[in-house]
Amino acid sequence: MALSGRTRNARLLVIVLVSASLATITVDYRQGESGPLAGVGRAALEVMAPLQAAVSRVTRPVGDVLSTLVRLPEVRSENERLRAELARARAQLAQQASLEARYEELVRLLDLQEALDPPTVTAVVIGSGVSNFEWTITVDKGTDDGVGVGSPVLASAGLVGRVVKASATSSLVELIIDPDAQVAARLATSRQTGLLQGQGEDDLRMRGVDPATPVEAGEPVETAGYQGGLYPPGIPIGVVSRVVENPAALEKLVLVRPAVDFSTLEFVLVVKQPAEG
Amino acid sequence: MLRRVLSIVLVVLTALLLQTTVFAEIQLFGAKPELVFLVTIVFALLEGPEGGAVVGFTGGMAQDFLLNQPKGITALTLTLLGYGVGLLRTYIVSPSPATPTLLVGLGTFGGILFERLVAFLLGEVATGLLLTVRVALLTGVYGAVLTPLLFPILRRVSGRSRPERVVRW
Repeated sequence: MALSGRTRNARLLVIVLVSASLATITVDYRQGESGPLAGVGRAALEVMAPLQAAVSRVTRPVGDVLSTLVRLPEVRSENERLRAELARARAQLAQQASLEARYEELVRLLDLQEALDPPTVTAVVIGSGVSNFEWTITVDKGTDDGVGVGSPVLASAGLVGRVVKASATSSLVELIIDPDAQVAARLATSRQTGLLQGQGEDDLRMRGVDPATPVEAGEPVETAGYQGGLYPPGIPIGVVSRVVENPAALEKLVLVRPAVDFSTLEFVLVVKQPAEG
Repeated sequence: MLRRVLSIVLVVLTALLLQTTVFAEIQLFGAKPELVFLVTIVFALLEGPEGGAVVGFTGGMAQDFLLNQPKGITALTLTLLGYGVGLLRTYIVSPSPATPTLLVGLGTFGGILFERLVAFLLGEVATGLLLTVRVALLTGVYGAVLTPLLFPILRRVSGRSRPERVVRW
């Protein structure tokens, strides 16, 4: 009898929790970014961002050192002292190389910032997306810095994505490789435009290219920058990696390899929203 | 009670932080581990269907608010997963040390497929069946690999935050 009572309680609890989940899905689905749940999402980002920044700051150098140690070859026990010295030296070298790379990236970003027309703000990548099915990053700039939903995000190598959620001090950026992301793009040589869509880890897919347009692998692809569009024109996106010819198709299938290595992003430029009024 | 709530919140927060920072860099063939799935399954094994459902709902909801998809999908998935694994526990006659590892692997795999199905039905852009299965499989394997390392820590947290221990593994 006691067991059946407990089972009943567990079932009741699950029904309540499942109902709460379904209610949340319904409310969020209907109200989108304007609803109260979007506000909770921004608050969650606000809470997590400083923690992510702190953990990233601590774990990044440790990860560098660990990976350096892991790469060391196996040596005999009498060489232990030498091995430790070697590990320390390599760790220092790896750190120095990492610092140099970060410095160079910042210099390139500064050049890009000066070349861009719209005002931008430099941001640090403090976290990666929480899901394997969403290609997003978190950066340490938010509405207090002039960043808003829709703000384009760039790296020195090219286009990164756009802000999809912004709190006061941090933002969630949807990368161009996310399957939800779409970018109006232009083939640099033929000037033919099309719509790029993310495919996760695979190359971007460019749609809407006329089958008669000559396209070759290696051709650069940049943002089209339509009047009133989201992204500034002429920002590099990547290069054509593959062209699939199909005479029967109404459009040519063009695959584009992104110029940005999203796995090593540390700094980005975020285009500021125009000030209201 | 307060101690228990704090423990669950702390565990979920830590899992989400690790998932988005350290483990975002240590990927298994492009897949990150789903630590909140792992935590849910382990708590369900240790505490039964009620505990599993509560931890699953809490962790899922926390994860949902950091995603760019309709909120509530992960909460729904993990509530059902926690409850299901908790129920399954009663049918395991002689638990072995490999049981949590196996259940985390299978549970994560099944849970991710369920979550993607719900997301697809709600109109989220589908990532392709092959990619979905591949990522679910890799994430399941990753979770299973991490379970022997994290299970003792989670068992300790669970044991300390409850007045009595329900089962020993």
